[in-house]
Amino acid sequence: MYAKHYPFYFLVPVLVLYFVFFILPSLLGIGYSFTDWSTYSDQISYIGLDNFRRIFSPGENYLAYMGNTLIFTAVTIILKTVIGLALAILLSEGVKRFANFYRLAIYLPAVLPTLVVALIFRSILHPATGALNMFLRSIGLDVLALPWLIDARLALYSVIGVDTWKGVGYITVILLAGLQTIPRDYYEAAEIDGAGFWARLWHVTLPMLMPAIVVITVLNVLYGLRVFDIVYALTNGGPGYATEVIYTEIFKAFSMGQYGLGTALSTVMFVVLLVAGYFVIRLLERSSGQE
Amino acid sequence: MTKGIVHALATAALATVAMVALGNSAGFAQDKVTLTYLASQGWVYDAEQALGKKFEEKTGIAIDYQIVPADQYFNLLRTKLNSGEAPDIFGGQSGVTDLKLQYNVEKNAVDLSNEPWASKLDPLVAAQSTVNGKLYGMTYWDTVGNSWVVNYNKKIFAENGIAVPTDYAGLKSACVTLLAKGIQPMFEPIADGWHHVLWFAELGPRYEEATPGLAAQLNANKATFAGNPTMLAAVTQLKDLYDSGCWGKNALADTFADRTKVMASGQVAMVVAASGFGAELKNDYPQTNLDDYGVFLMPLADNQVLNLNPAGPTMFISSASPHIAEAKQYLEFLTQPDNMKYFVDNVPNATGLPFEGVAKKLPPAIQAFMANPKRGTVYQTAVNYVNPQWMDIGKDLTAMFTGAMTPEGVLTSIDKRRAELAKAAKDPAWQQ
Repeated sequence: MYAKHYPFYFLVPVLVLYFVFFILPSLLGIGYSFTDWSTYSDQISYIGLDNFRRIFSPGENYLAYMGNTLIFTAVTIILKTVIGLALAILLSEGVKRFANFYRLAIYLPAVLPTLVVALIFRSILHPATGALNMFLRSIGLDVLALPWLIDARLALYSVIGVDTWKGVGYITVILLAGLQTIPRDYYEAAEIDGAGFWARLWHVTLPMLMPAIVVITVLNVLYGLRVFDIVYALTNGGPGYATEVIYTEIFKAFSMGQYGLGTALSTVMFVVLLVAGYFVIRLLERSSGQE
Repeated sequence: MTKGIVHALATAALATVAMVALGNSAGFAQDKVTLTYLASQGWVYDAEQALGKKFEEKTGIAIDYQIVPADQYFNLLRTKLNSGEAPDIFGGQSGVTDLKLQYNVEKNAVDLSNEPWASKLDPLVAAQSTVNGKLYGMTYWDTVGNSWVVNYNKKIFAENGIAVPTDYAGLKSACVTLLAKGIQPMFEPIADGWHHVLWFAELGPRYEEATPGLAAQLNANKATFAGNPTMLAAVTQLKDLYDSGCWGKNALADTFADRTKVMASGQVAMVVAASGFGAELKNDYPQTNLDDYGVFLMPLADNQVLNLNPAGPTMFISSASPHIAEAKQYLEFLTQPDNMKYFVDNVPNATGLPFEGVAKKLPPAIQAFMANPKRGTVYQTAVNYVNPQWMDIGKDLTAMFTGAMTPEGVLTSIDKRRAELAKAAKDPAWQQ
């Protein structure tokens, strides 16, 4: 009835739009990273690899900010996946009463604007008047009442904690959907074979949930490497430069009118994302190949 | 059925679009104008907002005050200016290098030289908002009559036998005595990112006293911050104050907004604030006895020279604004004699406004203090490329407090950013 193949020119408008709005700006951005483009001068000159030399020079702190970005990404992936999985299992099997209420409560932080979450947590984590430390002191745990956001060694992990609190609901929902696609028969067969909770988790749940886990890992890698708003609103990179990440630096470079440097930083992140994306897609192909 | 729903939805959507289009073109054309005014936290007093309401009642032009947290303000403002999304009126710190570098006023702001209030603006203050002979900003702020000084609680000092410090040793000894008694010596709000920089930049007159002609040499690129012993002493002593617990355990989380609350509590002895701080305290806590509070100069590097700054928060009208005439009207309204009197009477720590004919209000004791014959201009105004990196210096100092930077490193970092800014501005002194 219908022709199976449409002619190529049907694709052209989409390709043109995609090229103009996605490929071209990216290429231009990469191009500008080799220039001294700034708001202070109308002339743009080619300066070779100067911006990149500056980024990777030991005199600058960009490598430390990249380190912070990677720590943020790695730790949030682990925390969100482990906690998300635990909550998803609890919601699908453990909790019988008010299950929908709990699902809503866990998902709620994901709906809140980051700025609101950050402002609330700035107040909660205040070392003297914050609700968390006041609670800890009231139950005699004064030792744990720490300067969460103002201790340079602790601040990044506090940001990670807040981000996990906000993002875990979203991950839980995806894993919950994945869990519900696993046929009950597998669990029954495993139980008959004498498998306990951990054996069922390891041999049935995790392998069957792998596609969902790969999806959330991809999402978390992309989110983590590009993190900006939660850091900006919670600590603005402080105290000092302790929680500075690459995107807060990109924002700073652009706001200072140093467009060349800003685009160079974006280019570095583009390469990092490309490499990370390549490996994650390879992983995705492997896991779908196993099915 | 589904087709019917889709049809109904499409019709509704079309109708909405049509109404919005109509509204834009004609329907809402008679609507009142709302001016957006972007400012950093603490720059717009309640009294100015009250004047804004009065202005709206009189002219029908509303003012939408958009107040942004201080530590994020300059990044946000510059992003808006650079991306062509500036509000109708924007706040900024005056100072010629700031005007050129931070706000690029020749491109982003409107020339206000011919406004009726321009000739009445204090010439020292006006010079800070003037580029190539054109006035771009209106400083509606008590600049010349108010200095940043240490305000202290006389009762606490007397009870603990502390004399008013006139050098760093005196301040340190006051801190040690108070700490031993379990009293927090000083409130230093570092979280805002700007306040602790005052300790360094406001000491300009002292640096100048120790090395005469230093500001001129710095501007000619013939001297650097790094290697200056007075500056190094000031920064090192600042770190010493932090390390010794003089600012309390939570200085990194403290904010300037809490200054009166903290001082009124009687549990903290000192705070760096404007010389009119006593009146502000009295306004927030009416039971305050003004005689219980006094002021002294920030004594880092044994400073005893009064710090003056003709620059301060200033209003600019965006050249991209579709409502330039209305914005000018607002500035003119603010400078009418009755409105300036209302502002000075209702802003607790204001001692005046830098316009001709505005009466000054200042307690006699503070007036005597401000008459100190040894005086000079602060370095954020006297030295180029310092004020544009104010928040960066704040970050460096915080990094120094947490041990991630050394005092020497802070000074080197200031020099490095000055060179970058000067190069970007094509400053001839940095061309060689």
